[in-house]
Amino acid sequence: MKKRGYGSLEPENEVDRRQFLKIGGAAGAGWILGNRFLWSHEAGQDAPAQKTPPPRPKTNLEDALKVPKTKYSLPGPFPGKVVEVHHPDAMKDEKPNPEVIKAMFEKGMTRLTDKNLKASFGLFFEKDDVVGIKVNPVGPGLISTRLEVVDALIAWLLAGGIKRPNIIIWDRFDYMLRDAGYTAERYPGIGIEGLQTMDEAAAEGKTQDNSRWLRPDGSHVSAENFDKDVFYWADVEGPKDLPYLNQHVFNGKYSYFGRLLTKKLTKIINVPVFKNTGNAISMATKNIGYGAVCNTNRLHRPLFLDVCVEVPAFPVLRDKLVLNITDGLRAQYDGGPDGVAKFTYYFNTLFFATDPFALDMVCHNILVQKRKSMNVPVNENPRFTEYLRSAQKLGLGVVDDKIQHIRA
Amino acid sequence: MRRGNLLLIHSFVLVGFGLAAQVIIPQDDFAPGWKSSGRPSTFIKADLFNHIDGGAELFLEYGFDKLLVQRFARGKSELTLDVYEMESPESALGIYLTKCGQETPVAGIRARNSGEKSQLTILKSKYFVYVNNFDGDAKNLPAMVALANKALESIPEVPFDGWLEQLPKEGQVDHSQRLIRGPVALQPFFTFGDGDILELRGKIFGMLANYRGEGNAVYARLIIPYPVQKQALSVYENLRANLDPYLKILSTRANGFVFVDFKQKYGVVELIGSKLDIRFNLTSVPKS
Repeated sequence: MKKRGYGSLEPENEVDRRQFLKIGGAAGAGWILGNRFLWSHEAGQDAPAQKTPPPRPKTNLEDALKVPKTKYSLPGPFPGKVVEVHHPDAMKDEKPNPEVIKAMFEKGMTRLTDKNLKASFGLFFEKDDVVGIKVNPVGPGLISTRLEVVDALIAWLLAGGIKRPNIIIWDRFDYMLRDAGYTAERYPGIGIEGLQTMDEAAAEGKTQDNSRWLRPDGSHVSAENFDKDVFYWADVEGPKDLPYLNQHVFNGKYSYFGRLLTKKLTKIINVPVFKNTGNAISMATKNIGYGAVCNTNRLHRPLFLDVCVEVPAFPVLRDKLVLNITDGLRAQYDGGPDGVAKFTYYFNTLFFATDPFALDMVCHNILVQKRKSMNVPVNENPRFTEYLRSAQKLGLGVVDDKIQHIRA
Repeated sequence: MRRGNLLLIHSFVLVGFGLAAQVIIPQDDFAPGWKSSGRPSTFIKADLFNHIDGGAELFLEYGFDKLLVQRFARGKSELTLDVYEMESPESALGIYLTKCGQETPVAGIRARNSGEKSQLTILKSKYFVYVNNFDGDAKNLPAMVALANKALESIPEVPFDGWLEQLPKEGQVDHSQRLIRGPVALQPFFTFGDGDILELRGKIFGMLANYRGEGNAVYARLIIPYPVQKQALSVYENLRANLDPYLKILSTRANGFVFVDFKQKYGVVELIGSKLDIRFNLTSVPKS
């Protein structure tokens, strides 16, 4: 790894938080509080302390909400439904078991859709769809999306009639895909696309030669990979320095969606991994929210978790993201979003949902219990899941006590 | 750059202790067959996110100055050495306690450490050091230890102020101590309000630990010594006025207030001279 990220139905919120949800709704004017707490400070600098909460930066979310939904829009055909499939032999001694994982996939999809694998295909796809599989390659080999999970997905898509060239494994960064094993050799005939490149040597200060990523006109070589007509705007400037531009392609107030998503893909399957980021989680909504657009680092501090709701609210994701599978074969309970081996464990579990917000709520609660069991500090302030409740208010998901968490 | 068995010297100038020192990054043969791989990478405050995107804020809050990264290889195996120079030994201790998890010292390392076959986490003076073994092969552990010790040789011992000694010992849960220097470090423990509501500003250290109270229940205690009483009073008043909406003040005292949180647990904030003394996660209303 290179350093570079039981058949029961039960409500997910074990604590009665109704009173506090009311408080949060009032205090946050129906919107997200947690992020401003998370990042609204000037770390390591002599900034004056803030006596009142900082204002939340404006965004163009309203533009997204104006667009009518389609039959494929989030939260999909199974709002609030999350299927958890566990098998103790899925991964052992660093080796995933492809046959076991394939069986887990079939079980998960069957329980999610109440249809067999073949019939479930028709709920999400048509044969001429171009399907993008969004993996998480951060922490390659240690905590990245397992190739065997993607193999099971591809087999299902091919069996349903999708042509190999119309299946594209993608992430924001091309080099991360390679490091995680997503190569043309491993996936012949399948598309492998990073939305952008980044010159690692320049980023790490090993060279002052920026010509591999910076053109003479000052633009990034990946600039055309992003669609300037489709964007998430937030009133936060990206830094103007070259290292930032190298990593983020653009540095103004616009985070453009990848052209792959706006022009080519007709459906998206999101395959994040089960891990934390600080006291929060870095799973389904973060994988897609931060993976689909450029110029993201500027958003971490003022809008950290908001992005996980607002970016997927745009039709380019909202109407194409039809399925989410969280890879918890090996999970990480602390040290994230980067992979840290000592905090990983074999969880041997896959989660299935059309509703990424319900999925993240279920996984958040499971991670909290794991952190407690490992004596890792946990802050259970409802702020850290407020963004998920905000998604429900926007009609994008179901995260309250109507969640159906099925352990298959 | 010419390589060989020579040691390349990368200087990190120690500031604030009236002395200068150099961290010597081992290049080759710190263990049989291991060679440096590529040039070292350096990161400063402005570009730390290039190395740890999403994780830089914590280091910056504790007081990060520079990072030097060097990769080493033997065959297909690879190790990396990450040397973080922090502002002070307290800064390095703060980040170490946050990152080490349950301390599991590896034998043979000549500094405080926690680790296993994939990663060593080490603290010495104002330096926080990672040694990473990315393929997790346990056979590389002796080389990891040798690499760590070689790098540690050049780091001088620096007198350390016993900040954590200010925490009461009675009832303290072992290995629960933390130094807090802002909201990012405090985030896993508790939320008192928006932003840097305790006004630590990445400059003022608070000391936190868990304690066993009534019925053996565990609660947390955070003590923050502000430079002057006036500042402590200002922070206290701001906190009381802008307390997190998920907390509710139950009663006030001459020098403090009691609150209840979203899990029906209790807390108390007391202003004692220039210190804030905060207890939270209490299972019952604290007695005055």
